[in-house]
Amino acid sequence: MSPHIRALRLVNFRNYADATVLLSPGLNVIVGDNAQGKTNLLEAVSFAATGSTPRTSTESEVVRWPAEFARTEMRVVLGDGARGDERAVAVGYAPGQRKRLTVDDVPAESLSSYAAGGAGVRTVTFFPDDLRIVKGAPSDRREYLDGLLSTLRPSYARAVAEYARAVQQRNQLLRRIRDGLSSGKTLQTWDTKVVDLGTRVLQGRAAAVGPLGDFFGSAMRALYGSEKAGMGYSYSAPLEGYCEALTEARDADVERGTTSVGPHRDDLELLLGGMDLTTYGSQGQQRLATLALKFAAREYVRDATGEDPVLLFDDVMSELDGRRREYLAEYFQESTQAVISTTNLEYFEEELLSRSRVIRISGGEISSPADSSGKRDV
Amino acid sequence: MATYARPVERLITELSRLPSIGPKSAQRIAFHVVRGRPEEAYGLAEALKEVKDRIRPCKRCFNLTEEEECEICRDSRRDAAVICAVEDPYDIGSIERTGEYRGLYHVLGGSLSPLDGIEPEDLRIAELVERVKGEGTEEIVVATNPNTTGEATAMYIAQEVQELGVRVTVLASGLPVGGDLEYADEVTLGRAFAGRRQL
Ligand SMILES: Nc1ncnc2c1ncn2[C@@H]1O[C@H](COP(=O)(O)OP(=O)(O)O)[C@@H](O)[C@H]1O
Ligand SMILES: [Mg+2]
Ligand SMILES: [Zn+2]
Repeated sequence: MSPHIRALRLVNFRNYADATVLLSPGLNVIVGDNAQGKTNLLEAVSFAATGSTPRTSTESEVVRWPAEFARTEMRVVLGDGARGDERAVAVGYAPGQRKRLTVDDVPAESLSSYAAGGAGVRTVTFFPDDLRIVKGAPSDRREYLDGLLSTLRPSYARAVAEYARAVQQRNQLLRRIRDGLSSGKTLQTWDTKVVDLGTRVLQGRAAAVGPLGDFFGSAMRALYGSEKAGMGYSYSAPLEGYCEALTEARDADVERGTTSVGPHRDDLELLLGGMDLTTYGSQGQQRLATLALKFAAREYVRDATGEDPVLLFDDVMSELDGRRREYLAEYFQESTQAVISTTNLEYFEEELLSRSRVIRISGGEISSPADSSGKRDV
Repeated sequence: MATYARPVERLITELSRLPSIGPKSAQRIAFHVVRGRPEEAYGLAEALKEVKDRIRPCKRCFNLTEEEECEICRDSRRDAAVICAVEDPYDIGSIERTGEYRGLYHVLGGSLSPLDGIEPEDLRIAELVERVKGEGTEEIVVATNPNTTGEATAMYIAQEVQELGVRVTVLASGLPVGGDLEYADEVTLGRAFAGRRQL
């Protein structure tokens, strides 16, 4: 069985002062009224597994007010789960300081490179705000693609970050040339650097879009209907000819003070029956496409690593009809591990719940029938 | 908002100007000095003054020295056909500790960074080119930091000396990428040196 989480402890995380939750393989349902901490708990699982939050760019928000640090501790079961095959993974975070990551009490460089070594858990998350991947700007779609590839390959993550820095440098140089502050002697150097890093980003994306688009197509078939769905990649400059395109754009770029071609200007097209979902999709189609993108990400990770990522889906049931809810519930139940939040347990069949773990949340306190004794297990 | 006597405040202010010393550390160091023996404080003050009075850049390689030329440049046992270009004088110490390198150095004084307004003229690149012409240099090892600006600097240097028939190499990876040479441990840096490649 793929790595999964057996237990999680949250200290000073969002509205949790100190709480422990046990998780099972298969489906885990977090249930509670609004504003009790369901989303916060899912966020914490992701934070514990990856060392960062997918929900906000202001990371300090996760620290429980008025505490000064937040901490998560989790137990990961590797392989077939004899207790000896467990890892204790902890993330300590105080705003403004370097995060402390430890695996079995030994400091770790980063959890994603740790997971890349085959010993951690990967996650695929869904938060309602993710609708912007389909509906929003090209940058939202690039972030989806880059995020997925980065968790799989630290070298890709590095290329993306360095590419962004090189483009910033080039942009500043363009402005300095325009304003007469630089002779532009180093423009060739920065162009070469930008193309070198940009090519690595483009190659990574180009290799991914084909298979990812196929997975997206199958997910849409299951979720939406028989109309053919897929992905396209829209280049500002194609791979061959990238260097020439950048050189050609120089004068215009100097005038504007920004770099007009390269992977930071590209878009990922999401298509349904040949129609662009971003521009023409109905609200309903866009919602299902967002889900399908997450399912595709799961398949992609499975295909690339041979391991099933842990699925963390927030409030996904409320927008769906009965047939789709049933499909999703089975989908989650059959995954290695899924943690799903809901305000309403009736979205799930009685029989399915009997095979799942139900976690009740109220005001930052966790209780679940199987471990209501309050015993600490982490 | 002066909380302490003026001289103490002044010391705290001066200390907190130093790199990686925040206001809290500055305060702790200041009170350490205030409480400590006078000789210790005078010793520190003298060391600071001496450094400013006596130390200057080597006129050949811009390493720090008390003389016209630094000890490395004056050492006839070193291989004058190889120049290792570094960003800062303290990088020389890191490389010397590996024991792998017997050539000379050239301190560039930073790396190319439009974001910081640093152009080739702000670095000692022209001086390096002059040295190559005058000293019959056969190889330049560019040991700038393994980050975007360091790598761009290496590429620019390679381009500048292209016509001079000098071999330009950079350190092999193995260095923590995005990091500073300063923090690399000796073994890693030594291995990177052994595996330097042509640019
Ligand atoms: N850093 C924080 N410290 C304390 N409480 C927080 C923090 N961040 C969010 N909260 C609280 O968490 C609650 C929302 O939790 P959330 O998980 O979003 O609810 P839901 O169960 O509806 O998903 C709100 O009451 C909010 O005030
Ligand atoms: Mg919520
Ligand atoms: Zn010298």
